[in-house]
Amino acid sequence: MVDHLTLMALDAFLIAVFFSFLWKQEKKERTVYFWKVFGALMLGAILLGWLMYPFPRS
Amino acid sequence: MPERRERGEGTLPLPVLMVLAWLVPGLGHMLLGRRLRAGVFFAVVVVAFLLGITLDGELILPHAGDPLSYLAAIASVGNGVLFFVARAVGLGQGVVTSPAFEFGNTFLLTAGMMNMLLVLDVHDIGTGKKEW
Repeated sequence: MVDHLTLMALDAFLIAVFFSFLWKQEKKERTVYFWKVFGALMLGAILLGWLMYPFPRS
Repeated sequence: MPERRERGEGTLPLPVLMVLAWLVPGLGHMLLGRRLRAGVFFAVVVVAFLLGITLDGELILPHAGDPLSYLAAIASVGNGVLFFVARAVGLGQGVVTSPAFEFGNTFLLTAGMMNMLLVLDVHDIGTGKKEW
């Protein structure tokens, strides 16, 4: 069983690859866009999780 | 060198291309000559779908009284032939007690939504709104 952080990173990776090829044409701009999307998804999810931390679980 | 090919007279009608693009991820781009992108899109959608199935995700169908399930069902059916084959062989039933259930759902839904975006991209290429 893979841990949730790894699964989240894998999902972010697939989505970032998808959108970089969907929206960008050149290799260099695809690479830059990939890291932007991947970073935004990972950092955004961690930030959101951190903001939700004080709230009760049930 | 970026991929670029005009949509010639020998290609299929746009509605047919869009249906094929929905059924098989990347097929629409392949038929339009965007082979690199077709391969990448096929790999991404299929890998996401298989991960979702492996992680005990559910190919969601509409449930009466649950409006959100209708949206989820649209995303699930967006996987095209992958959805129908998986349902036919009994996969994608979802194991709610599995620790990875929600992640499985996430992968299945994102795969379906990505495939639907590919259909729209094929439309844009076919109508000339997108040149590459």
